[in-house]
Amino acid sequence: MKSEKTAVLLFREDLRGGPHPEKMAELRGLAESAGYTVLAEISQRRGRDRRFQLGRGKIAEAVTLEPEKLIFQNPLSPGQMFNISKEFEVQAIDRFNLILEIFASRASTREAKLQVELARLSYEAPFVRTIESLKKLSERPGYRGSGSYDVSMYRDIKGRMAKIRTELKAVEETGERRRERRRELGFDLVALAGYTNAGKSTLFNRLTEETVTAKDQPFTTLSPTTRAVAAKERRFLLTDTVGFIDDLPLFLIKAFRSTLAEIIEADLVLLVVDLSDPPEVLRDKLASCHQTLWDCGCYAPIVSVLNKVDRIDPEVALERCELIQDLAPNPAFISAREGHGLDGLVDLIAEKLPPLEEFEIRLPSSEAGMKQLSRLYEVAEPLEVKYGEEIEILLRGRREIVARAMKGGEGQELLPLQPLVEE
Amino acid sequence: MDVVAVDISGRHAVDGKYIMVSASVAARISPEGIERTRRMRLVPLVAESVDMEVVIKLIEDSVRGLHGTVLTEKGDLYNLERWRVESILGREFKYPESLGERRAIELAHHASFAGRKLVLKLMEEGLGEGSWKMTAGGV
Repeated sequence: MKSEKTAVLLFREDLRGGPHPEKMAELRGLAESAGYTVLAEISQRRGRDRRFQLGRGKIAEAVTLEPEKLIFQNPLSPGQMFNISKEFEVQAIDRFNLILEIFASRASTREAKLQVELARLSYEAPFVRTIESLKKLSERPGYRGSGSYDVSMYRDIKGRMAKIRTELKAVEETGERRRERRRELGFDLVALAGYTNAGKSTLFNRLTEETVTAKDQPFTTLSPTTRAVAAKERRFLLTDTVGFIDDLPLFLIKAFRSTLAEIIEADLVLLVVDLSDPPEVLRDKLASCHQTLWDCGCYAPIVSVLNKVDRIDPEVALERCELIQDLAPNPAFISAREGHGLDGLVDLIAEKLPPLEEFEIRLPSSEAGMKQLSRLYEVAEPLEVKYGEEIEILLRGRREIVARAMKGGEGQELLPLQPLVEE
Repeated sequence: MDVVAVDISGRHAVDGKYIMVSASVAARISPEGIERTRRMRLVPLVAESVDMEVVIKLIEDSVRGLHGTVLTEKGDLYNLERWRVESILGREFKYPESLGERRAIELAHHASFAGRKLVLKLMEEGLGEGSWKMTAGGV
């Protein structure tokens, strides 16, 4: 008896397009990441088969290897899953289901578990509905009886989804309040985004001197981690987030909304790219990152972090940078593993963050004025403080944060903010 | 990068007619957004069908004289391969990939949607009837 999980990978290549070996390679990476031993890779160039997705012969060929599961690169309809399991007595899943399996095995926080459950239920709800109707195809409700079908399973799923959404909304609101508080404390928010296995967590560890798990496998990070970084007179909070992948359905993006909010609400997004990928794959991955950022509604400025330059020649790196120049704004070449180019990246981050301005502020020489001064010390950098009849302060900070700190004062008449120098 | 983003509103039949407005936005974009909008043009068309010939003619009219790579959503050209569209249009063409390209198309979409609303309002009021005669190819 086999103790390990085994699978055969199947891929139907479209008649119109060219071959896509990289898609099969990505599927293999995902399957291995989920803990499967891949017994074989089978691909077929043909139109979509209505019943089985691929031809019956190809599936029969895969089944002879006695895998635990058949994993399809192409999405399977509920009917196709039902037909394959009925005809060949083997469980068939598609790429998306495999991703959900990985997510489920890695989810460690309450938020991640809820997100995975919501994504799984959103995916399964139409399947349950179809399979219920397929199973009852030959029956008629109410025939010689007055009953109706038991549709409680579908209703239960819908009810559970609504409950999870409510819980996630609360999580999202907590996250929003947390980000707001961090901004009030004078931190800029920077988020790491990018295709899965691009090296985001390795870069995060390098910049923050942390030790979050970073492995050469897709979807190592599921829940966001935030740490403070002080660099070039700026202090910002860097957040490591879940990686993107091609052809993600919108409902999965919606399920991970509270995690992706870290990207949407950021002041700057670092789009990490694996520059060692072959040129066509590199472009496709970048385009799918742009698609996901668009789907999330990201409007923050972007710095492209071209990672893993240690794996390729400098000339090749420049060629590839030129190839993706319409998709990679503000590029910085780095190697997160070796620590190359990090100073340049930090300079670029400091340059692209919202600018700091200098302000002259006058506060009354009273207890309330001192409280206000202490609040300003927390959120901005004081350059000069003169104590006299009034407290005169020259400080540097972000306009909206200083303004918000000034609003916090009670019963005081304050001078309007005067920007002196714009950096 | 200079682009001409095109979007067509009204690709659905109303009383057997397709009242369409194509908006084209000539803009300079960066990978993350629109840097500068140069020109915008709206072209109305009432047609009997929305087959490829009609759509291509409308896009051609819409982008004539505007400088840049033509951009449209994949669905607007029935998912036709890029090289085929380029050979039909006879100029550089691509489907949107970057955020900047998507924002340019979004802008064209808002323009075409507003333009169509205006056309419908004018038609309702019976204004400019001579201009809205139904054709299969173009106005």
